[in-house]
Amino acid sequence: MSSLSKSPWIFHYDASSCNGCDIEVLACLTPIYDVERFGIVNTGNPKHADIFLITGSVNEQNKEVIQNLYNQMADPKVVVAVGICATSGGIFAECYNVMGGADKIVPVDVYVPGCAARPEAIIDGVVRALGVLEEKRKRIKEIAAGQVTATIERASLDDAEKILELQKIAYRSEAELYNDFSIEPLTQSLDEIKADFATRTFLKAVIDGNIVGAVRGYMKGTACRIERLFVAPGSQNQGIGTRLMREIEATFPESETYDLFTGNRSKRNIFLVKKLNYKISRTEKVNKRVERVYLQKAGQNRG
Amino acid sequence: MSMNLVLISALYVILAPFLGGILAGVDRIITARMQGRVGPPVLQPFYDVLKLMQKETLVVRKSQNLYILFFLIFIIFTGALFFAGGDLLLFIFALTLAGIFFVLAAYKASSPYSFIGAERELIQMMSYEPIVLLSAVGMYMVTKSFYVCDIVSFHTSLISYMPGIFLAFLYVLTIKFRKSPFDLSMSHHAHQELVKGITTEFSGRALAMIEIAHWYENIFLLGFVYLFFAGNPVLGVVLTLCIYFFEILIDNTFARAKWQLTLNSSWAISGVLGLVNIIALSYVLK
Repeated sequence: MSSLSKSPWIFHYDASSCNGCDIEVLACLTPIYDVERFGIVNTGNPKHADIFLITGSVNEQNKEVIQNLYNQMADPKVVVAVGICATSGGIFAECYNVMGGADKIVPVDVYVPGCAARPEAIIDGVVRALGVLEEKRKRIKEIAAGQVTATIERASLDDAEKILELQKIAYRSEAELYNDFSIEPLTQSLDEIKADFATRTFLKAVIDGNIVGAVRGYMKGTACRIERLFVAPGSQNQGIGTRLMREIEATFPESETYDLFTGNRSKRNIFLVKKLNYKISRTEKVNKRVERVYLQKAGQNRG
Repeated sequence: MSMNLVLISALYVILAPFLGGILAGVDRIITARMQGRVGPPVLQPFYDVLKLMQKETLVVRKSQNLYILFFLIFIIFTGALFFAGGDLLLFIFALTLAGIFFVLAAYKASSPYSFIGAERELIQMMSYEPIVLLSAVGMYMVTKSFYVCDIVSFHTSLISYMPGIFLAFLYVLTIKFRKSPFDLSMSHHAHQELVKGITTEFSGRALAMIEIAHWYENIFLLGFVYLFFAGNPVLGVVLTLCIYFFEILIDNTFARAKWQLTLNSSWAISGVLGLVNIIALSYVLK
């Protein structure tokens, strides 16, 4: 057993519970049950937590809150739905504003039914969640070690939301580099990226059903423009970026040249594409902070 | 600086995290028993830190964790300086510098919760700084040296010369140990108002580093308490541990104070007890 399962920190969110389950969750901390015996601590902070306890059914108002809290938790993380409302919506399932159980919004790993769920059942649920947590840790380790290869496939319009979400995470480091948070990849809206799908070919890299990288390209005249290559922070240095580049080039075999640009301070990007035989063709000053570097590579067609 | 002191200082750097971790574990057990609970295993703080090492590190800005690294380094430096018998004044300013790095890290993370935590941390630093300096002044007046190695080898216990300063120092020690009623900047129990205060935006390795820095800090703080009793080493160690127990008791019996009360009361107590003690010393030691 690793230290992970000896120190599960819990984060509790009341979706729209009647407070019955909440009281039982807090009862676990009292002297009778004292879950701190197992190292369980109730943190108030998603960034510190390992286990996300959700009580109550999910409704239209808090679905974004739940999604947001889940995204803020550090991997590996598990979600436990406590009580019948969080499990399936319970007696509120058919209300006009209720979406159902927590699994409508975030992936739930353990369900603890009951109305209200008893403290013993909640503790049991958390202990089961520890097993899932351990498995997830191993999987993350495998992925980080490059033992799991990503599959590269064409993305569809359904992926737009996920790709945009990842794009905003991945481009944060670029924005920091130039101290400019108004760069296009960070400000793009869902409608704009959906419109891009009509004119551009999107490729995605997928591990375990999660998108970990993407790139897009389109033909302009006889040249292929490649745009917005990014890989999730946790999956970098595994060659996924290079594979995405090769794949997008292969998607446009008829092209005479492949063109792309990046910022002058993005040494890693420039290094990556130079390894793929791209040469700097010109540079252009965009504003005070950013200078664009254009890189180009001849296609097979050029002879 | 003799070879011996260098050795002690090196031992501190190596052993302090283990001692500090166990102390934190014992602290959690005693706290649990005071609340009628069983409490976690004594090694629980180590499990927590090892777990944090395995977690993903989320950042708002990459540079925030660099400040945390400096915080840890300067805390270790501060402690090493203390156990090497170094200058007490340099020790105090190194401690302040370490604290400033921690505050900068929280400001860099730019979230409202870490801002509030950072501001409260600064207020806490303002609260404890005067009496820490007065302690150094008092120790100098008695022993005629700012060096820890001279102070610790003074023939009588300093507490008999400076009881007022000691009481005032005890008051602000609660702030440094991050215990209630003065756990304003990063309480374990203030979810509703603070989230996690100054540490809100830190996760994974950075949070583990903060925890380890806290262990290092607790050890040299206890070392500082020991300076008051150094005339009688055995009794001194026992009393120092008693003081720690006393702090745990205070932690469990008081509700969190507002920052105004923290600042005003610690300055008032430092001002009255500390200054009266200093003035008395200047007459007694003429």
